[in-house]
Amino acid sequence: MKNNVFPQVVKLSHRSILGMLRQPQSWAPGLFFPLLLAAVYSSQFSRAVTIEGFPFADVSFLDFVLPACVIQGVLFGSTNSASDLAADIENSFMDRLLVSPVSRGSILISRLASAFMYGVAQATILISIFAAFGANIAGGAPTIISIVVIAALLSVSMGSFGIAIALRTGSQEVVQSTFPLIFVAVFVSSAFFPVQLMEGWYGAIARKNPLTWVIDPTRRMTIHGFSWNDLGQSLGIILAIASVGVGLSIRQLRRRLVRAQ
Amino acid sequence: MSSGNAPHVPSLAVVFAGIHRGLIRLQRIPSLMLPAVLMPVFFVVAFSGSFASIVELEGYETDKAVNWMTAWAVMQGSAFSGMGAGGLAGTDLENGFFDRLRVAPTRPMALIGGLVGYCVCRALIPITAVLIVAFAFLGADMPGGALGIAMVYLSGIGMAVVMSFLVLGIVFTFKTLKSLAIAQIIMFSSMFLSVGQAPIQAIEGWLHHVAAINPITNVIRMCRQGFLGEVTWSITQPGLIALFGMMVGTGIWARIRYKKVDA
Repeated sequence: MKNNVFPQVVKLSHRSILGMLRQPQSWAPGLFFPLLLAAVYSSQFSRAVTIEGFPFADVSFLDFVLPACVIQGVLFGSTNSASDLAADIENSFMDRLLVSPVSRGSILISRLASAFMYGVAQATILISIFAAFGANIAGGAPTIISIVVIAALLSVSMGSFGIAIALRTGSQEVVQSTFPLIFVAVFVSSAFFPVQLMEGWYGAIARKNPLTWVIDPTRRMTIHGFSWNDLGQSLGIILAIASVGVGLSIRQLRRRLVRAQ
Repeated sequence: MSSGNAPHVPSLAVVFAGIHRGLIRLQRIPSLMLPAVLMPVFFVVAFSGSFASIVELEGYETDKAVNWMTAWAVMQGSAFSGMGAGGLAGTDLENGFFDRLRVAPTRPMALIGGLVGYCVCRALIPITAVLIVAFAFLGADMPGGALGIAMVYLSGIGMAVVMSFLVLGIVFTFKTLKSLAIAQIIMFSSMFLSVGQAPIQAIEGWLHHVAAINPITNVIRMCRQGFLGEVTWSITQPGLIALFGMMVGTGIWARIRYKKVDA
């Protein structure tokens, strides 16, 4: 059975995705809060685009915050699959998996696949709602597909850090306690306001935040249209983050396997 | 449930016992305070930093974003503290301790009052923390002087009471800690649909109308006035009326839902 990895990955991924769908309390906030912030900010800060130095001319604030809200929604739910993995460890399902002839890699891949699917679904739903409320996405389908791919891969990359923590600690509580870090990372970035208009140390940190380097090119695509350069920049940063996260996850999985023997 | 013919314990004693119990719990589990303190402190830092240039727009009446955002962070901290009542009641409901409290010879409002009083004490910590960070590290001004500071504490405490009643009503309805998620959504939405981050003149569309009738708008204005200028009765009065109205409304809601615990 160990040789048949693909069916195992499919089965375990199916289980992970079903598990997530059955817990709306874990993914609903990731839909609700970005929509609330977008609705509120597009009304509250609609005149902000007229401030001198605002980097985009003739743009609505809804268009401006669209990519940030999609990324925020995906990030808020990015630890869901890690939290489910920690639950498996807490309730000993992981031990049962480990005594079965299942491929060890499929345990990790299935959770990453679940994070990917979550990102795809979340981004698609959010973009659809934004479009229904009048958001204008320049570049049409290529830009929309790019945003969905960026969101899904970002969900995988941030989720992989959560998975590493879940494998290391085996605690849902610890995994969920990383949420404030994500919250801080989103707010101290160009997500809701351009870094060009931020001042002092706060602006300096926001400019160096890797999320800014993901959000800015995604935003340029949303406002100016699809560009391979912008897509490449976003994906490059995300893949760099993912390589670290997935590397840590593999290391923690190996450590857990050694401990389990 | 009923306490039968047993003599009633004086309500004030029950309220103080409730507050005391909550504070002991806070002392034993200090991590309970972390989100309630860290989140509003982060809000004042993040919103003052992110939206530093927003005060260039008409209606902000200040040249520093921190003067605008501190009141918003104080309100958030107070509202978070109000969640503490729901957290304590939810835990008690789940482990059955609340049933024992309910058969005690005391009035329901005394039990509710203890939980609310505990949250008021909790709220003082984030309010103070936000003010310290705003003045010491972010350069906030207070032209309203001591009266302005008093308005901040009055509004913050009032908001903690309102949110405590609101959250208790929700927890009494669902009888589980998980219902705090619903409470959070209602709390966040009602706070965001106000003049928390932008003056009414700068808000456009549907939100302009919603913020104009949202009573929290008046409370935030009352809280904020000392940061923008002198404290005036014309701003304080609507804030006090809004707080009083919301306290009565949410208090009645909590008392009605208290009966639901038996259902």
